[in-house]
Formats: sequence, structure tokens, C-alpha cells
Amino acid sequence: MRTKQEVKKLTEKIIGFASPQTAQVYYSWEKTIATRFGENAITQNMAGESEQIRIEIFDGKKKGSFATNKVDNKSLKRAIELAAKMSQDAPEDPESMGILGPQEYLEPLERFFNDVVELSPEQIAADAKVVVDSAKAKGFRASGLFEANASIEAIANSKGLFAVEDGTNVNYSATVHGPAGSGKGFDNQSSYAKIDIRKVADMAVGNAEMAQNPADIEPEDYTVIFEPLAVAEILGFLVWNLKARDADEGTTVFAGKVGQKMFSDKVDISVVTDDPELPAPTFGRDGLPIKPKKIVEKGVLKGLNYDRFWAAKTGNQPDAGLFPIVMKGEDKSVEDLIKSCKRGLLVKNMWYLRYVDHKELLLTGMTRDGVFLVEDGKIVRPVKNMRWNESPIVFLNNIVAMSRPERIDGYTKLPGIMSEGFTFSSKTESL
Amino acid sequence: MKEFTDVALNAAKEAGAAFADMRIVEERQNRVYVERKSLKLIDETESWGYAVRVLVDGAWGFASNTRLDKDEVAKTTKRAIAIAKASTKVPKDIPAVMAPEAKYTDTRVGPCEIDPFAIPNKEKAELLLNCTNIMLDQPNIVMAWGFLQFIKMHRIIANSDGSYLDLTNYFANPMLSCHAVDAGEAQTRGFQGGAKQAGWEFIKQIALEASAKKWAEEALIKCRAEDTPRGIMDLVLDPMHLSLTMHESVGHPTELDRILGWEANMAGRSFVKPEMVGKYKYGSDIVNFTANNLLEGGLGSWFYDDDGVKLYSFPMVKDGMLANLGCTRETAPIIGWEKSNGCCRSDGFDHPPINRIPNLYMEPGTDDNLSPEDLIAGVDRGVYIEGMGSFSIDQMRNNFQFGGDMFWMIEGGKLTKPLKKVTYQAQTTQFWNSCDAIAGKKWWQSHGVMNCGKGEPMQVMRMTHGASWTRFRNIAVGGAQI
Repeated sequence: MRTKQEVKKLTEKIIGFASPQTAQVYYSWEKTIATRFGENAITQNMAGESEQIRIEIFDGKKKGSFATNKVDNKSLKRAIELAAKMSQDAPEDPESMGILGPQEYLEPLERFFNDVVELSPEQIAADAKVVVDSAKAKGFRASGLFEANASIEAIANSKGLFAVEDGTNVNYSATVHGPAGSGKGFDNQSSYAKIDIRKVADMAVGNAEMAQNPADIEPEDYTVIFEPLAVAEILGFLVWNLKARDADEGTTVFAGKVGQKMFSDKVDISVVTDDPELPAPTFGRDGLPIKPKKIVEKGVLKGLNYDRFWAAKTGNQPDAGLFPIVMKGEDKSVEDLIKSCKRGLLVKNMWYLRYVDHKELLLTGMTRDGVFLVEDGKIVRPVKNMRWNESPIVFLNNIVAMSRPERIDGYTKLPGIMSEGFTFSSKTESL
Repeated sequence: MKEFTDVALNAAKEAGAAFADMRIVEERQNRVYVERKSLKLIDETESWGYAVRVLVDGAWGFASNTRLDKDEVAKTTKRAIAIAKASTKVPKDIPAVMAPEAKYTDTRVGPCEIDPFAIPNKEKAELLLNCTNIMLDQPNIVMAWGFLQFIKMHRIIANSDGSYLDLTNYFANPMLSCHAVDAGEAQTRGFQGGAKQAGWEFIKQIALEASAKKWAEEALIKCRAEDTPRGIMDLVLDPMHLSLTMHESVGHPTELDRILGWEANMAGRSFVKPEMVGKYKYGSDIVNFTANNLLEGGLGSWFYDDDGVKLYSFPMVKDGMLANLGCTRETAPIIGWEKSNGCCRSDGFDHPPINRIPNLYMEPGTDDNLSPEDLIAGVDRGVYIEGMGSFSIDQMRNNFQFGGDMFWMIEGGKLTKPLKKVTYQAQTTQFWNSCDAIAGKKWWQSHGVMNCGKGEPMQVMRMTHGASWTRFRNIAVGGAQI
């Protein structure tokens, strides 16, 4: 693993090799340990690290790019030559914006923790054993992925732009199956010290216990309580559809909607850069600085995602990308949402979401790992999985209440949501 | 490279590994991407690395590296062994063993008549720009994009069986699509032919420019078309559409690792059980699926899989009955099978190989003269679907819902009007048992899938499917519209 200073020297060397051509260099390094288990045993266990350099050579409005994981001088010079040849061969790009000069970045929050780099396969195996033993104690079967990543990314160019950042992420995900139903447990943190393995095991086994022997239920419109993991699945599609140019061209649901109320007053979605639970990277697309940005406020669509070309053409500010995303919640727990629900379904997790109608942002998907009928503020019984067809626009418009937001992954923090009139369309016997 | 693979295999043997392999993978990739009238990307990527996989005390260890000398190979092997020992802390009830396989020494190169890396990038970019310009010149087309991807994959696999394999395959992946906006609707339409194991000759053969205008016109037709009908009706599906249907509802359910529960945390399990083989009515009597990893141009025709198994062809569904499962050298013995049928693949040097869908296709009907028009003529009320659109299936591979890329109403045995936003929903074996006619051999077409995601960390794999036009009776249509 190179230090940030060593990465800077490496990118400077590459830009020097490329001089006097206009060059931009992307550097990435990643170290991964990943342990998979299934049927109460480790089935796959791996470790590795990789480094990649991508070199872009610009020739006016023409650009060529070559990437390699060979970082010796000879290979780097060859990569520059090949990128330069590609830029010479390329037709001009009328939308080329060239490279940026030096940028000012926000002071980074701590997002690299040595305990992740030092995490051993033995420790991860011991953690997997906690979940497996908990499942075995109930006569259940556990599967999962326990993964730790450390990374460094940098961008540098011949106009003097340089940005580098490191980060770590630990993702523990487990699914426990009983004879007739499953439950999910997970934890995601930037530091291994914050991982609560007992919580992962108890969540997965507890959810699995609750989910056993689900009853039949008819697909129709229900009030739903989505736990944060399920909310993340459906909200991802909304965020991916926020490209300003697509909206302006009329191909997405956000066409002509900036400034209009599209959702419940309760909906507030932002790019947040100062949350220590979700430490934001400092730079994104083309080396642009990541900045706070309001996307939805009091249900009104406030902002879209502009690339540099479309921002310049329309007189807007370009975005580095819309991450990390935080949706505000309310000072309640998921249990509070259940208590306030007259009749509805508690949904723990989702599976295989896809577009049905891209323009309308109509989606389909399946429930998974536990669906529960709620009546008069109490969970009455588990019910069978169902297919749904619904839009996140409708889902966020029909919000009744929300829980406190939780970190789902390194880029997302979301609440649980109770929403009315969610459309389920067909049944399955799959547990 | 044998001097290096020997270091790994000898070190693994000394450490008591029951099985070991070293896989060296070099991949070269060329991509060109055009969006509207803008060339967004011309690039090449090369990646090189190796991994050592060891089976010690019935548990797996896997370590990868990009630095190659004998010391680094020895270190990587030592790391893999340490990881395998960590795996024994959460052991399998029955320690893992590998099904036997013959020792092979072989050097093979897959089909590639015209080296795509020798074709000037300018030619590739101009082809795509011509296509998007043709599309954008049509009324109401607001967006068009095209993509060309060429991959050369070179694998050296040496394993403790004594095999030493030097294998090269080329892949060509063209994509082209456009968006029309009209009457408050936005609809897409484009090339649906998929990818192929081939060189530049495949791009010449498919002649994207010749069809670009037609696809743009059809995108606009979709905008102005009636919404989906609703109800129980018949379907006639084209081969491109069926490729995705069979991928999701036949390919994945018959993966043995999924059946054994190893994918339960993410990709899911399967309604299929090993004891169903030879006894379970998967489809109607005319439904036959073949797994053929020798298929010419098939994306899964790799000569040998990453377990070192020599690839071959076998029936997956025979006369409607489940006849086989896709397995690996590790999964086969667990259900008492003697040998693997070669379904173990990795998507790169840094990922362990896992159980994957082989090339899998539906055999054409036995009546060579039965045409797509004949199938349509036999439908009183139904929908004809071309290409792929929306797709979703539950984690046990039962309940699915599919869309498509182009839809036509069938009334009185004739195509009467275009439709939009059509979806149909069924349970897997209900669907395949409702198949009552398959067009003949001359209408059979293949479709290469480049983006099959499975495993954790996610791996993206390639395989080819195929079919002739096929008819299904009494399927629920239109239920997704709310």
C-alpha cells in the first residue's frame, strides 16, 4: 500500500512522462478480504489487492484512455503512448470539457481505519462462527458475506489538479434460514471496531425465527412499513434517475419537475458531507469537489445531477456526483411505526428490483427475508412473499411516518418508512 | 509460466493441500462508447494477475497477486494456505473434495477471424456515431447511444492433477439503443442480438447501421402505441426475448451451488432439488434444453472451465423432464455425482471460480417447416414480444415477471397493432409447461449474455442462450400496470 504522498509522486511522474501532452491520471488501489459462508460453513475465503492506473491523453477535443495494473516505468510509458495514439485516432468530441485546474476540497472526515487493513481471515472466520453458532443453536442454517475493503483513489492532471483520498469499509451481511422462512442481519461500518457481530447474528436469527411458517396473503394495496434496508433498494432507482440532461430531454419522471412538489412534505433528501457516521469522500467526477446539495426539501424537487457539459450549457453548477445520500427521518423507531399502524405489512428486505416503465419510474420487485402482517399496532403473523409493482414517487408521496435514519452502506443513510397504498400484484411460494 | 506454477503447486503439496491450482489471467479490453453525437469513451484496459487456490483439510483458501516472481508466488501460496486454515474454523459437515478429472495439457485459441484490436478505434467510433446520427435524425428521438466492447481473455491454468492449460478466447459485445419522446411517453428500442465469442467479423455481420433507422422508428411507434392489454392470453416470444426468460428460470435454478444453499445470502436458492433430476416435469413434452459449452461462438465455450474440466454438451431438460444440473468439481460429489459437467468459472484472476450457467439453449421444434407466422396464426388473442425489457424473478426462481423490447397485439391469428408497457407474470414450471409450439430449426437464433451477476463479491459472467420462436398458452398479461 502506497502512502498518499507516494501516490502523489507516482501521478506526478506519469504526468511528467506524458509532458508536454495534456494528461489526466486516475489511480486506484484496493485490498479486499472476503469470507463467504453457506449452510453453516465457510464456502469461499479470499484475499487480494490490486492497483490500477488509468491515463487519459487529450488532444484538443479528442481523448484516448488506457488503463493498466502494471506500474513499472516501461509499462506506464507504453500506456501513455497507447492513450496518445487513441486520442490522435479519435474523432473530436463536441461535448468535451477538457480537464479541470486545481480545485478546493472540503476538509475530509476520517474514513480510513487501520483496523480494517489489519483484519485477518482468522478474525473474520471467528465472526462468521458467531452467526453460524447462533443459527445452529436454533436448528437453522446461516449464510453470508463478511467483507473488509481498504482503498486509495486519486486523480491528477497536467493543469495541476490533484486529489487523493483513502477509505475503509466493513460489510457484514448474513441470512439465516429456518425450515420455512429466512431472516437478514447486517452491519456496515468504516471501522472494524464499530462492527457489532452480536447484533448481526441476533438480527438474522431473530428475523428468521419470526419469519417461520408464513401464512397465505392476497396481493392488493397495503400500507407498508419498509425497514431501512428495503427503503435503500427502492430509493436507489430514484437517485439514479436524477440526471439533469435526461430530465430536460423528457426521458425521466423528473422532466420539468424541479421546483415542484412531488413527494410528501416529510421527504428531505440531500448530499451530506459532514456526517461522521457516513464520512463523505472529497472528490468525484473529473476531480470535482463533493459538496452538500439539497435534492428534495419538504417534498419539493430542488436539484438534479449535472455533468460538466450540461451544467455549462444550461447555466448550472456541475456535480461531482450525488453521494453520500442521506434521507432525513423522524425521531421514531421502526417499532414505533409498527405501533402506529392499524393494518399493514412490515417488509424486511427486497429482491430483484427492475424498471417496468422507466419514464414513469414504475418498478417491480419481490419481498424477501420476512414479511409480517401488522394489525392494531402489533405484528400478527409472518406472511408469504409477494411481487409488487410500484413507483418510489408514489411510495414517497404516501408517507405516513418515518424512523431515524441508519447507515446502510458507505454512501447511504436512510430511515424506515411507513407508506400507504403500496401495490402488491402476485404471490409466490418461495420462502 | 510453468516455473511459477510449479512453485505454487509444490508449496501447496508440501502444506498438505488435497487440491491446488494456479490461474494466471491476462485480459485486454477495448471499449468505445458514444452518447448522442458525442464520443464519450475510447479506451483500452489491460489487467494481469494470478491466484492460487488450495483445498486444505476440506476447506478453501484463495489469494491473488499482481506481482510475479518466485518469491511472490510462494508468498501468495502461503497466504492461500493460511486462509484455508482459517476456513476450517467454520468447517463443512463433510469436508470438501474435488471430483476426479483427467490430466490435460492443451493450448487452444477461440474463434476470431478479424482481430478487433487491430481495427482502428476511429473506425469503431465512426460506426457508432453513424448509427446514433441515423437514430437522432428520426423524429422525436432525443437520445441514442452505442457501445462496442472487445475482450481478449488469456488464461493459464495449472493444477495439482497435473493439467497445464493455455487458453485464449475473444469476445465481441455490440450495443445500440435510442430513446423516443412523444405524447408524454418515453420509449426505447435497439439492437437485441447480444454478444458473441468472435472478432470484428461479428460487428460486420450484424450491420448495425442498416437497422438503426428501423429501431428509431419503432421507438416512436412504441410511444404512440396502446397500453398493454390485461388478462389471461397467449404469448409468442422471439429468441432474443426467450434468452432472458430461460436464463432466469432455467439457467439459474439448475445451478447446483444455489440448490445446495451456498448463494442464499444474495443471489438466492432454487426450487429445484437434486432428487428431481430425471423425475420432475419442468416443461411440456416438446421442451428440450441443452447445455452446450462447445457451442460455436458461445460465450461460455472456454474449452476448459476454471476447475480444469474439459467442456462438453449435455441435456438439461429432455422431453420436458429435468435431466441434469450445472455443477462443479466441488458440488458434484456432494450429491453423489462422480464428475463435474464443467460449470465452474471466475470472472477474473482475483475472484475464486464458482458454479455458473453454461451455454444453455432451447432446442428448435421438430417440425422444420413450422414458422413464427404459423405460431401467430394459432393465437386467437395474445401478444407477440421481441427482445428483452423488464425482468425480475424471486430468490427461489418461481415467480417471474418479464417485459420486452417490442410488442404486437395478436388477434384472430394476425398481428394487429403495436403495444407498449407489456409485462407478463408466471411461475417457472407453469410457464414452461404451457409451451405448445416451437418453430423449426431455421428460425433458431442465439444470444450472448455478457452481464450475468452472481456471487459475493459480485462476479459478472458470460454465456450464450438460444431458441426458435415459441408459443405459450394462457399466461397472465398486464398485471404490472397500476
